[in-house]
Amino acid sequence: MSDDIIVLKELSKIYGNGVEVIALNKVSLTIKAGEFVSIVGPSGSGKSTLLNLIGLLDTPTNGQILLKGIDVSRASPDERARLRNRELGFVFQYHHLIPEFSALENVMIPMLIAGKSKSEARERASEYLKAVGLEDRLKSRPNQLSGGQNQRVAVARALVNHPSIVIGDELTGNLDTKTSDMIYELLRDLNRKINQTFILVTHDMTLAEKTDRILRIVDGKLVCELLRQDDGFRTTELCDLGEDGGKINLK
Amino acid sequence: MFEVDIAKRHIASNKKGTAFTVLTVAIAVGVIIMSLSISSGSLRQIVQNTVEKNPHILVMPKEGEDYIYLYRNLNQSLSQYPGVMASSPRMVGQGAARYRDQVEGIEFIGADPVSEDRLMQISESVVAGDFSELKFKRKAAFLGVTLAENLGVRPGNDIYLSLRNKTVKLKVAGLIEKGTVKDRTLVYITLDVAQDLAGQGDVVSEVGVKLKDYRDAPDMAEEIRALTAYRVESWQDFNREIARFLGTQSRINILFYGLIFLVSGFVVANTTIMIVRRRTKEIGMLMAMGATRYSILKIFLLENLMLSPAAGLLGIAVGVAFGKAIESYPLDMGSGEMGITRIVLDLRPEFAIYALFFALLLNILAGIYPAYLASGLDPVEAIGSE
Repeated sequence: MSDDIIVLKELSKIYGNGVEVIALNKVSLTIKAGEFVSIVGPSGSGKSTLLNLIGLLDTPTNGQILLKGIDVSRASPDERARLRNRELGFVFQYHHLIPEFSALENVMIPMLIAGKSKSEARERASEYLKAVGLEDRLKSRPNQLSGGQNQRVAVARALVNHPSIVIGDELTGNLDTKTSDMIYELLRDLNRKINQTFILVTHDMTLAEKTDRILRIVDGKLVCELLRQDDGFRTTELCDLGEDGGKINLK
Repeated sequence: MFEVDIAKRHIASNKKGTAFTVLTVAIAVGVIIMSLSISSGSLRQIVQNTVEKNPHILVMPKEGEDYIYLYRNLNQSLSQYPGVMASSPRMVGQGAARYRDQVEGIEFIGADPVSEDRLMQISESVVAGDFSELKFKRKAAFLGVTLAENLGVRPGNDIYLSLRNKTVKLKVAGLIEKGTVKDRTLVYITLDVAQDLAGQGDVVSEVGVKLKDYRDAPDMAEEIRALTAYRVESWQDFNREIARFLGTQSRINILFYGLIFLVSGFVVANTTIMIVRRRTKEIGMLMAMGATRYSILKIFLLENLMLSPAAGLLGIAVGVAFGKAIESYPLDMGSGEMGITRIVLDLRPEFAIYALFFALLLNILAGIYPAYLASGLDPVEAIGSE
């Protein structure tokens, strides 16, 4: 059985509100289970669109998305909701925790949506909050936690349902360097320990360079792919550094 | 069901919005409870003061005849008829009453006091004297209070009653206050005296019939009409104004309740839309976590649904309180044709059920559109919304 967890074939997204805007232009890509991937590119390049399509939050105009070998590009809204619940975890730039719920209750939600019992959800949510170092803040509400703590709760929430892929959209964008590093170490640790797949969209090249694979998107096209090799990165044959001035800082 | 937990928290955290929604529905429910009670109270008062104090059915002479001749047989048959509570043969006519220099136009009713009391509940309207005295005192009369006032007579005084060229001297035995315009003209006398005045012998002009349920009158009148050659009219025929009023009142009420429903529905819907707008990001995140559109719809419908019992109960309290306040306020409505002398509340237990049902329906219907809006949000746009 193939360990390709995500396969994108000629994936395009075109927004057509009077004037057609090609947000994503025939992107083909394969991500294997356990990979730690970052997607970089200038603002408006289509990286968030790509992430939304991989995260089944949006549907492609053309092309295919295969999740664990199954074509999900034309799945119904309910089927996509079910897949998001079981196979995907999201962490956004802002934590989007429900303000009235405690940290523990927020982390329990994906499990409750999945139909798990409250006791099971409580137990597992506690474990994950412990794993992100918040075992003493289970009952704290988002307004009683710092930005970094809230983002750690959001990470625990994204992981609690044992998703196949965790998607992060600028997840450290609002955090200071120290907290940002801490979040990265947390994700990296999980990646190593449980072979969790992570796909992160980021503007932060320092963070991107810590991942195993950097995908660069410009004007809706995948223009470069860098793979970790020893202490640095090697470019693949796909890479066209001239496309946007070759600003990737290769070590 | 996680939807219930989220809905509960939304309610608990959004105190202002919750209070506003509950209050809006409660006021609507309160107004309806109050209006239902006042309307029912007025209706009951009208029925008590007019319909129940008058015959439900009048059996009148056959076509081409002025009097009923075999009235005893007719009365016996009518009194044994199923659904008939009482019947009373009466001689009714118009004449004049004189006391000293004062003369007033009158409408006299000659009848057996016992039968008439059962028919008209006269005893309830007697403010002076004992109506059963008419049984033993042939030359006695009971006068409407306004008529007595206009004539300047008191119980014990002698008055003269004239019809065409006949005059009888009667002693005022008591006064009657029906609370209607009849108080200005009504004179009760014995059947013998009325028959003497009419000068037509042992006849009556009508037989009044009282039913167990006044609403059966049209059907019963139709039955009697089919069985006899007498002319028969139900109270709806000779009290068209009241019958029309009672008929139109329910339609006006429905229109009124509909308008209240519409206005409060818009207010509740607007409040819920504001809540949905404020929670757009949260809805997007719930969708990202796998909540289906149906779940989102359920959360917002549940929120409104959970507020219904509180809104309904508060509405009942508001309605009762305001109703009682209005009832206790001394508001003289005069002595109208409809027999309404003041605002009376008729609070019935079923109104509470209507109120709770109304609150439930209002919250559900007003919540459908906002909940539908929430469930239709695009998760990408919702998460990225400002």
